[in-house]
Formats: sequence, structure tokens, C-alpha cells
Amino acid sequence: LAGAGGGNDIQWCFSQVKGAVDDDVAEADIISTVEFNHSGELLATGDKGGRVVIFQQEQENKTQSHSRGEYNVYSTFQSHEPEFDYLKSLEIEEKINKIRWLPQKNAAQFLLSTNDKTIKLWKISERDKRPEGYNLKEEDGRYRDPTTVTTLRVPVFRPMDLMVEASPRRIFANAHTYHINSISINSDYETYLSADDLRINLWHLEITDRSFNIVDIKPANMEELTEVITAAEFHPNSCSTFVYSSSKGTIRLCDMRASALCDRHSKLFEEPEDPSNRSFFSEIISSISDVKFSHSGRYMMTRDYLSVKIWDLNMENRPVETYQVHEYLRSKLCSLYENDCIFDKFECCWNGLDRQVGFCSIFHFSIVMTGSYNNFFRMFDRNTKRDITLEASRENNKPRTVLKPRKVCASGKRKKDEISVDSLDFNKKILHTAWHPKENIIAVATTNNLYIFQDKMN
Amino acid sequence: MLGRGLKRKLSDYEESMAGLSSAFDSSRSLPYPLKRQLVLNMCLTKLQTYKMLVEPNLHRSVLIANTVRQIQEEMRQESNQQPVNICPGIVPSSHSYTGMESSGISLQLPSGISQEESNCCDLRSVEDPIENSLLIVSDDDMSSAISSILKDLDFVEDISPPTCLVPTGDDQPKFPENTGLKLEDDRQDLKGAECVFGSFEISNSTSYLKDLAIDDIFEDIDTSMYDSDFCCPPLMPPRSPSLATEEPLKTFPSCNSSSANNIQICRTDLSELDHIMEILVGS
Repeated sequence: LAGAGGGNDIQWCFSQVKGAVDDDVAEADIISTVEFNHSGELLATGDKGGRVVIFQQEQENKTQSHSRGEYNVYSTFQSHEPEFDYLKSLEIEEKINKIRWLPQKNAAQFLLSTNDKTIKLWKISERDKRPEGYNLKEEDGRYRDPTTVTTLRVPVFRPMDLMVEASPRRIFANAHTYHINSISINSDYETYLSADDLRINLWHLEITDRSFNIVDIKPANMEELTEVITAAEFHPNSCSTFVYSSSKGTIRLCDMRASALCDRHSKLFEEPEDPSNRSFFSEIISSISDVKFSHSGRYMMTRDYLSVKIWDLNMENRPVETYQVHEYLRSKLCSLYENDCIFDKFECCWNGLDRQVGFCSIFHFSIVMTGSYNNFFRMFDRNTKRDITLEASRENNKPRTVLKPRKVCASGKRKKDEISVDSLDFNKKILHTAWHPKENIIAVATTNNLYIFQDKMN
Repeated sequence: MLGRGLKRKLSDYEESMAGLSSAFDSSRSLPYPLKRQLVLNMCLTKLQTYKMLVEPNLHRSVLIANTVRQIQEEMRQESNQQPVNICPGIVPSSHSYTGMESSGISLQLPSGISQEESNCCDLRSVEDPIENSLLIVSDDDMSSAISSILKDLDFVEDISPPTCLVPTGDDQPKFPENTGLKLEDDRQDLKGAECVFGSFEISNSTSYLKDLAIDDIFEDIDTSMYDSDFCCPPLMPPRSPSLATEEPLKTFPSCNSSSANNIQICRTDLSELDHIMEILVGS
């Protein structure tokens, strides 16, 4: 994609990195989710300590036309606290599993954040004025003796330093026995779904004391359990349609108009197993860790341990495209099973705009991105069929320098600048990535750092 | 050697497992049954470790259990096909061997996994060093390992869809009519029945039931009454007489540390506890 290529190729440059520099990673700082809002002006991250940090893109500086605005901290708040469930003697982790933004309706911004058990609707609002000139209060807040008031005045609003406040508006609790892995806002912007390992619930954003169960795959006898729900998402345009993926590599599309409990899918997407690749770990690596609809809603993308697959909603029996993320790991599966890396849940994302206006024409470009190990992340251009591996690292990253493509040497002689599989650092994993909805700006989370890359503007 | 996923203190056992899994990955000459045995041992070890956790990861447990089932099925088919049953792996030995950690590895699976050879009548040659370190696991052991981890994952205090919860205060939930969602009546009845047992809890006693053998002893105790998904008509009306519920409410502390939203759940908890106590006491 980068380097020598046609005019359509994006050249990615380092822009910013957020987070602690030292190698000793504090557990609470581990980033667990990254999400741009609908305009791309705000970028939210959630971490293992239950905090949400929102960055805001500064308005484009007219004089600095060669780079887009930088992202600076806009708001930080504690979304979830650790809880203790006394009945079950269990600690409920405060780690933020997912953040989803609502589209902006007024001056305030709203987002949903969830941990394993509870979803919260947060309102983020700005305050840049404050009333001054009260009659009964001094400026410092002390109350005046009413008998000393001789004249009356109307308080006026005066500007103050910008203050960004986050307040929890709704708390949606007690609807999930198992751990919540996904939340997805419906295109009606009134309802949303939350999915745990065995159930999916439908909520109304205004109503917190009840939710409707729309999928339940818990068997009567838990010993018969062979499959769990791994991710779920609403269709971007059809408010009665959603999909959920499973640990067996299947995706089910459900229509809520068909019945109240969507136990029967409308469509089942599954690719038959390739017998030549069969191993003891076949099922484990087929488990889908993320599912994302394309903006048009015509396609969906799934991520399993070794690959990214693009599905056409009209074709259930196999994906239309498959991209290998790190095929060289296929021969290392036993070791990856032993150290539990095989259970890592990588996310994936589509590029923002589906179209870009070129010099003479409007062309569609479609790129998907996902993370890997050693702080590498991968991009696949669906039109040119080219792919690239880039690294998120503080070294070798100067602003506005194009990132150098990386290459992993699977076997045999290692060329210069290549990295052999055995030297990959499996502790450095990129699980969460996000693409700006309108521009070629991407956010890539390493364990505790957030990297922002932009395409080189000439 | 591949980097570890998490920082942890490596025991000798874990080091040997890492050595074996590297051997699995790199060696093409490892016979298939041995590879299978190695994977099986790893799976069972993981399941055993998860059992010790207060809250095992359901996703991982299911994936590992499925892998064990797959291997189990394969081994069953093999033993059905062959008139003389052969199983790989034999008596553990402390031979040191070239190419591997020479710390005198005798892989001991955590207690509870039987070392008896239930299917075996013919022993393989003892020359293969890797074979020496693997123990046989019987079919029964595999099944009981799977079932015990999955049983433990059944949170009996299962909050089924809370459609039977009493709405708080005067808030009449106004679900917009245009979404067209209606709960079917029979579904509601089902949930009503479930709600009786919905929040009853048997403490997850994995902390002292480490031994699989002990699990087997308890297998025949009927816990179906405490299963939240078991739908039978309640023995008592779901809403106990208010006197019985009010009293315990005053003395019982809040069920968990989150907000007052849970008070309504506690109320249901208490009436269930009351109900169960009466059954147990036999009044």
C-alpha cells in the first residue's frame, strides 16, 4: 500500500502516541477498547482500570495545511468501578470491554460503555460559561446575610475556562449472567443490544429496568454446551436485523420481526473446513473474535485467529474474500495454545469513507485493518489485493515520515530487515484498532499506548 | 521458544510443557497418537487449572472441552475399530533424554486424573522419550473433566431475562409501540416459573472440591430443583406472603455492592431463600 505505488495508495505516517513511555506496564493502563465518534472529532479509549479517556481533534490550523489536527485529551472519567458480588463471591472486573458512541443530537455527546456486567450511558458536555452576580451568594460561594442586600441584580453568564463534564445518565444493570462481549446501537438510535457468552438482550436507551432477551443459546444442561456467542452487531441500515458470531466460526443473521426470541436464524454463514488444514486446534482458531458490517451493510467482516474474512450477506456458504493475517503462526499453534495466546481476541475494522474524490473521478477504496503480534498491524486493500504490515513503535517513528513496511520471515533464510517468527514478541499484541469515519486517520492501541497515524498529505 | 502470553513464574512443569509444545510444533516425526496425547494432556491440565479459579472463562472452557471431546471421539473410534486396543504412552519414567529438558520430567497430571489404563492391553515400546513422559487418560476421565468444568460454569443464580421483575416505583416503562416487539404469553409464563428459582444460588464450591473423584461421588445428588432453567410449577406461589418477605428484608444486607437498583432483586432472592429453607427444614 505504501511506498512505490499508484496514486491510490495511502502512505501512513506517524502522528502521535499517547500513554506511558516506560516498559513496565501498569495493569490498569492496559487499553481495552478504542472508538472514534461519528464525526471523528472525538476518539475514546477504555482501559482495564475502568477509565475512559476521550481525545479531541483540534480544529485544523489554516497555516499548517500539511497535517490534520492533533488529538488532545478532552475528558477523562472513571466509568466503572470494581464491584464485588457477595452472593457469588466474585469480583466483577471494571475493565471497559466496549465503547460505542451515539450520533450527536445536541451540544452534548453521548456514549455507551460496558464492563462484564453493566452498561452505562454517559453524557459528555462542555461548560464554558458560568453565572456570576448572585444576590444571595458571594463570588466564592459563601452565603450573604439577606439583610445586607440593598439592591437586586440579574446574574449574567461570563466566559470561563472550558470544563468538560461527564455524567452517567443511565445505568443498565443486572441483565447479564455471563460476561458482556459486545454492545451495538441500532440504526433507529433508540435501542441497542448487548451480548454475553450465551444471551443477547435488547434495550431501549431510555429504559433501564428491563430489557428483552432476543437470543438465548444456553442449553438446558450446561454439560451440553458446545458453542458460545463471541460478538454481535446491528445492521447499519436495517433496524430489525443483527448478526452474532460464535466460537465455532459461524455467523447468524437474525430478524427481530420474525419472532420475539430470535433462536432461529434467518441466515447462517459458515465456511466448510479445509481438510488439509485440519489440526487439533482447528476449532479454537475458527472462533470468531469480531464481526463488523461494512458501511453499506452489504458485507460483513469477521476476524478469527489467523484470518480476516469478508462475507456477502447474500452468500452463506463461504466468504467472498479471505485474508491471511499471520499464516506463519499456523505451524506454532501448539505453543500458542500452551501460552494461551491462541485465545487472544483481535478486532478488525473497515476504512472510513467508502469513497474518495480523486483527481478526475470518484473511486471506491475499501481497506480493512486488523492487529497482530510484535506490535504489528495489517491492512488489506480489497481492490488492489495488496497488503501491508506496519509497526506501532516509538522507535523509528518521526512525525510525517512514512512508516516502513515490515515483513515476517516464516521459514528459511531471513532477509535483511525481516523478522523471524521466533523473535516475535507475543506479549506485544495489537487487539484494538479504529479508523476515522471520514479521513485517513487511524488509531492503533498497543498494550498501554495509543498510536495515531495519518496519511501523508502533500 | 515463543514468548509467554503473561508474566508468570514458570514451574518445572510448565517449562516441560513448553518444551513439549515446541517439539510438537517443530517435529514432523512425532507420531500422531503422541501428538494427540500431548494435546489432550494440555487440555485437561488447563481445565483442571480453570476449575480452581473462582470464575473460569466460559469461552475458553468450552473451546478446550470441545477439543477434548474431539480427541475422545477419535480415540473411541480407534478403539472400536481395532480388536486389540492400543494406547500410547506408558508408565512414567524419569529417564533423561536428549533434546529435551533433562530435569527428570515425569509429568504428573493434577490429582483426580486416573492413571489407570482402562482401555489398554498392549504396550508400546518404551524407547520413545516423549512417550515416557505422557500419561494415559481414560475415556471416563475425559468425560468427567468436561462435565465438571461445564457444570461449575452453570451459574445457578442465573438472571434469566428479567421480564418478570417488578418495575421500580411508579415508572411505567414506555416501550415504544412502533418497534412491534411483543412477548409471547407462553414465553412469559416460562420466565415466570424460572423467576422462582431465578436468583437462588448454590455457592460455587470449587475451592474445596478440587478432586475429580469427589465430584463423581456427588454426581447422583439431584440438584435439578436448584437449576434456574428447570421449569416446573412452583411449589408455592411465586410471591410469598408479604410478612415472610418483609422480615428478612430488614435484616439481610444488600446483595452486592452496586447501587440501589438491586434492592428489587434482593427481594426476590429473599423470598426464594425463604422458600428453599422451608423445603429443607420440611415445615
